[in-house]
Amino acid sequence: MTTTLPGRPTLSQNLSAALAEAQLRFTNISRYPGQLLTNIVIPIVFAAMPILLGRATGGASAEANFAANTGSGNFVGYLLIGSCVFQFVSSTFFLVANWLRFEQETGTLEAVYLTPTSSATLLGGVVLYSTVRSLLPALIAYVVGCLVFGLNPLDGNLALALVFIAAGLIPLAGMSMLFGAVVLRVKEANALLNLMQWVVSFLMGIFFPVAVMPPLLQFVAWLFPPTWMTNGVRSALLGVGYFFGAWYLDLAVLWVFMFLAPLLGWWVFRRTEQGIQRNEGVGQF
Amino acid sequence: MTSQTLPQRLLTGPAAFLSTLAAMAQKEIMIMLRYPVEFVASFGQVFLIVVVLTLAGLMFSPEGVGGGGSTETTGLVVYGFILFMFLSDTLWTIGYNVHRDQKQGTLEVLYLSPASKFANLVSRIVVTLVWTGLMCVMAAFVMSGMLGALPLHNLALGLFVLVMALSGTFGVGFAFAALTLRLKETAQTVANLFQFAFMVVCAPFFPFAALPEFMQWVARAIPLAYGVDAFRSTLMGFPAGFPELAPIEMELAVVTVFGLVMPILGYWLYRREEDVARRKGTLSEY
Repeated sequence: MTTTLPGRPTLSQNLSAALAEAQLRFTNISRYPGQLLTNIVIPIVFAAMPILLGRATGGASAEANFAANTGSGNFVGYLLIGSCVFQFVSSTFFLVANWLRFEQETGTLEAVYLTPTSSATLLGGVVLYSTVRSLLPALIAYVVGCLVFGLNPLDGNLALALVFIAAGLIPLAGMSMLFGAVVLRVKEANALLNLMQWVVSFLMGIFFPVAVMPPLLQFVAWLFPPTWMTNGVRSALLGVGYFFGAWYLDLAVLWVFMFLAPLLGWWVFRRTEQGIQRNEGVGQF
Repeated sequence: MTSQTLPQRLLTGPAAFLSTLAAMAQKEIMIMLRYPVEFVASFGQVFLIVVVLTLAGLMFSPEGVGGGGSTETTGLVVYGFILFMFLSDTLWTIGYNVHRDQKQGTLEVLYLSPASKFANLVSRIVVTLVWTGLMCVMAAFVMSGMLGALPLHNLALGLFVLVMALSGTFGVGFAFAALTLRLKETAQTVANLFQFAFMVVCAPFFPFAALPEFMQWVARAIPLAYGVDAFRSTLMGFPAGFPELAPIEMELAVVTVFGLVMPILGYWLYRREEDVARRKGTLSEY
């Protein structure tokens, strides 16, 4: 007969705790349906800015100019995809950071760390919540945005686009831990997080191809998983062209990130957490 | 008797108001300086927003990134962005700070002090506006560097429109702070939705002509839209087709009334909601 040592939870207990944490977050957000609505509205409004500006200033040659610069004349689709993927990516990052910041501000983070559940388990639950919570509104926003701007949301290779999104989920989850580490270290990190969101938007080429960047920045952008996800989705739906010429090669790069990003994210988070626990403690903000 | 009236005299009147304002502004600056990363990051954020939006606009230019835009497009985008930055501050900062004080548990304590509550609220804006002004100058340089020469005409009239528009949105900011006391956490969501509505209907980043006809009529019902239109049309030297919503004389009249009336109305709404919250004992609930 095997006995479980007290204080060493089993895998199923950890899983249960992570799911409970995710459920807690879902219950909480269900009380604020307006926030979900905002997540759907943001990418549509955000894409509307350059769409309306382009229509007004580009006139009859707007499509031709856009095609010459980006590889697709469908500027509405191009900008909307960029905006929706950006919303998904930045929301995933932000929700993890926001969880830690909220616990810091309300003075409950130290109490959370004193429970027998490990921070990895809780973080896993929050990452699960943030991924689902970010993905669904982004998909809805794409469909609604297409309808608002008169596009068919089912145009293009939809299945392949979804494969690119699915392949990008794990690297994103891994990278979201980096955002958590930033909050633990910097504390009052709102502006820094906002800055990082715009760095994300810039590197992933939210409204433009990364080819317009200087070579060094292009290289940095290629090290960033959302860049591959955005270009993969655009190529599948609009045919702008894969970085390596074929969908499976670009997808393979995302698979590499699938292994590397979570390891890097967890390593950075853990080191930051341990450093803070050894020094000032997690209660300070 | 004298000992009872002296503190009262010290805590009322313009001198007391200015003293409280200065002390609270100093506190805000001190908080800003205690978080230098946040201080620097906000500069970087504006720089990146400018670059991202500018690159998006250049995708519609025949020459792409190397080409640049027309003078009119540059004026439209840069002045729209500047006004958007200032208006975002005046609209949301008061409400955001009230909510932050609620979360940190300091709002009730501040209300127990005999200092002017109005000065307390205004101080949150003063520091932010100075900071935003610096960032706008930087943004204007970056954007005009990427897009082309920035048209600059009628500076005095442009500043008048800016001040009136800010004064009006300052009043809306008080109304939003009242909403924060009433709706608590939900107020942030409402604020976000309003901000997005503003980004579309008040057209800070594109001409009103780009909006569908019915939305142009919605814009004509919003005083702030006249502020956006009058501000950029004035600084661009009234090129053909500008201002778009109404003749400039009418736009100036609307913006002036908005700037004078809205702060009074907004503060009245805030005081009313504050009284309700104090009577119910919900001032610190969020």
